[in-house]
Amino acid sequence: MVNPILLIIVPLGTAFLISLTASFLKNSTKYLALLAMIANVWVSIKLLPAVMQHPINVVIAGVKPPLGINLFVGPLGAVFSILISAAGLLILLYSFKYIEGDSQHKYYTLFLLLITGSHGMILTGDVFNLFVFFEILAISSYILVGYEGKRNGLEAAVKYLILGSIGSILILVAVALIYQEAGTLNMADLADKFGMIDPSKRLMILVFFITGMGVEAAVFPLNSWLPDAHSSAPSSISAMLSGFVIEVALIIIVKFVYSIFAMTEILGFLSLVAVITLLVGEFAAYKQSNIKRVLAYSSIGQIGLILFAMSLNSTDGLNAGLMQIINHTASKSILFLVAGFLIVRTGSYQISDYRGIAKKMPVSAFFFVVGVLSLLGVPPFFGFFSKLSVVMAALHTGSVFNTVMVFLVLLGTIIESIYFLRIIQIMYNREGDVGSVKEAPFLPLLAIAAFTVVILAGFLVLPQITGYTGSVASEIVRKMQMAQVF
Amino acid sequence: MRKVISFLLLAGFVFYFATLTGGLIIPDSSADRNSVGLDILSRSAGETGSANAVTSVVVLYRGFDTLGEVTVLFLAALGVSVFMKSTGEKRKKVLDQSFILKTGSRLLFPLMFLFGMYIIAHGHLSPGGGFPGGVIIATGFFVILLTSESVNFNKTLMSVLEGLAGLSFIGLGVVGLLGPGNSFLQNFLPLGEFNTVFSAGIIPLIYAVVGIKVGAELSSVVYAMKESK
Repeated sequence: MVNPILLIIVPLGTAFLISLTASFLKNSTKYLALLAMIANVWVSIKLLPAVMQHPINVVIAGVKPPLGINLFVGPLGAVFSILISAAGLLILLYSFKYIEGDSQHKYYTLFLLLITGSHGMILTGDVFNLFVFFEILAISSYILVGYEGKRNGLEAAVKYLILGSIGSILILVAVALIYQEAGTLNMADLADKFGMIDPSKRLMILVFFITGMGVEAAVFPLNSWLPDAHSSAPSSISAMLSGFVIEVALIIIVKFVYSIFAMTEILGFLSLVAVITLLVGEFAAYKQSNIKRVLAYSSIGQIGLILFAMSLNSTDGLNAGLMQIINHTASKSILFLVAGFLIVRTGSYQISDYRGIAKKMPVSAFFFVVGVLSLLGVPPFFGFFSKLSVVMAALHTGSVFNTVMVFLVLLGTIIESIYFLRIIQIMYNREGDVGSVKEAPFLPLLAIAAFTVVILAGFLVLPQITGYTGSVASEIVRKMQMAQVF
Repeated sequence: MRKVISFLLLAGFVFYFATLTGGLIIPDSSADRNSVGLDILSRSAGETGSANAVTSVVVLYRGFDTLGEVTVLFLAALGVSVFMKSTGEKRKKVLDQSFILKTGSRLLFPLMFLFGMYIIAHGHLSPGGGFPGGVIIATGFFVILLTSESVNFNKTLMSVLEGLAGLSFIGLGVVGLLGPGNSFLQNFLPLGEFNTVFSAGIIPLIYAVVGIKVGAELSSVVYAMKESK
C-alpha cells in the first residue's frame, strides 16, 4: 500500500529541491516538477482502490490523534487527489511552452506549493493543519496571480491578498474557538464533541468558518477578487485556480457542514446563496468583452451551480455536485488553456479581435467548442450528465423552493449559452481575418486534448465515475466519528 | 447619520464578538474539556525527552504544522523575491554611515550570530528554538546590510541553504517513515539523558534546520527589499 503522505511531501520536497538546484539547473528545474507530478498521479491512482475498501488513516510523528496530527483519506480524499494531480500534471505540461523568462524556477516552485496546499487541505484530518495548508494554498496563489509582474496582475494580487487574509483570519478565529470550546483539533474527535458546544458559539464557529473559506471558494458576496485574479493570472494558473482551487475550498465547506459540524440546517441558506452566486456570475459574464473575464465570471456561475447541488441535503445532490466539479475542472481548464494561446498569438484579450481565428488555429478552436458545449451541458458530453443529475436531484427533493431554484439555475444556463455561443460565432466567422497567426505548439495542445478526452469519453465510464462519486457523497453525508476513524 | 449607524453596527459586533470570544483571552472554567493540552503536558517529557514541553509540541506532536509554517515563510520570501526584482545596478550611496556605526555593527555581528546559534541549539531545553534563533541570526545580517554601503551578499548560497534545510526537514521525516515506527517525523533517535544538549532525539536536529531556513529566508527578504527599486 502506498502512503498518502507522499502526495504532500513529494511536491513539497521537490519545491525545496528546485530552490536548492536552481542556480545551476536554471530552467531545467521544470523536469523536476514533472517528475514530482507524475509521482503524484501514480500515488493517487494507487490510492483509490485501497480507500474504496476502507479509509486510510495516517498517523504523523507516531502520536495518535487527538494529541497528534493525522491524515484521513477516504473516497473524498482519493478522488480529489486524482483530480488535483491529474489536472496539475496536464497544466504543468502546458506551462512548459507557455511560461517564458529567466526565473522560471520560481514559477515551478510556486506551482508545486499550490499542489501541496491543495492536497494537504483535502487529506488532513486536523483542523489547524487544514488552516496551515490553506495558508500555503492561498499565499502561493496570491503570488502566482501577480507572477507576470504586469500592472493589473499586481493590482489583482493585492486585492486577492487583502480579501484572502481577512478570510484566513476568520478561519483562524474559528479554529481557536473550536479548540477553546471542544478542546480538540482532530476532525473526527471534533465531530463527536461539536454537539456539546453552546449553540450560539456553534453558530459563531460555523459562520466564521464558512465566511473565511467562502472567500477562497468565491461564494457571493465574497468573490469580488475572483474576476480580477483569475483574468490577470497567467492562463495556466487561471486554469488551476478555476479548475480545482476554488472547488477544494468549496468541498471543505461542504464536508464541514455535513460530516463535522453536522449543521445541515444552514443548507437552505447556502442554496439561496448558491443560486445568487450563479445568477450574479452568469449575468456579469454576459456583459464582458475580455475573454478571460468571461471565463472567470463563468467560474463564479459554475461554483454557484456546484454549491446549489451540494446544499440539497441529499446523497444524490452531493453526487451531482461532484460530477459537476469533474466537468468544470476539465472544461474550464480547456477554455482557459486555449484562451492562453489565443491571447499569446493575437496579443489581445478582446473577444472581438478573434474574428475568424478558427481558420488559423483550427485545433484550438475545436477544443474551445468542446469545452463550451460540455460546460453548457449539451449531450453527449460529460457536462450533460452532470447538469442533468443536478436538476434531477433538485427536483427529487420535491420542495417548492428547490423547484423554483432549478428554474433560476436553468435561466442561468440560458444566459451562459448566449455568451458562450457568441464567442464561438465570432471565432468561426467566415469573413474575419486575424492576420498571420500560428496554431499553438504541440505540447500544450496535447495537454488540452487530454482534458477533452475526459469530456468526450466520460459517458462511456459513467457508471464507474458515479460509483466513485457516490461513495464520496456517502462519506460526506455520514457524520465523522472517532470510532470509525481508528 | 451613516456614521452613527455604522458606529452602532460596529459596536454591536464588537460586543457580540467579545462576549463570545472572551474565553480566548480570559480562560473560563472549561479546563475539563481541554484534555489534549493536559495530556500532552503529562506525557511529553517521557515520550519525547524534551525538557521544554512547548518545543515537544511544536516539533513533534504538531511537527507537521511546523513543516507547513516553514513552507509559509518560504513562500513569503519567494513572493518578496518575485515582486521586488533586483535592479541589478549598485544603489547610490544614500547615507554615509559613521565610522562608529560601521565598526560597531561588525563587532556586534559575530555575537548576534553566536547568540542565535545558542538559542537554536537549546530549543529543547529552554525557551527559544529554530524560529527565534533564526530571526536573531537574520537580525545580525540586517545590521550589517543596513549600516554598510556594499555587502558581498551571496544570494545563491542563501537559496541553496533554504532548499537544503527544507529538504533536510522532509528527509528527517522520511527516515522516520522508513524506520520501524513507520510514521512521518517519527522520533527515531535515542532520547538521551533528559535535560542535556544531546537529548530528545530528532528535536534539536529539526530545530537546527528550521533555524537555518528561517535565518536564510529572512536575510534574503531584507536583501531583496534593500536592492529593489
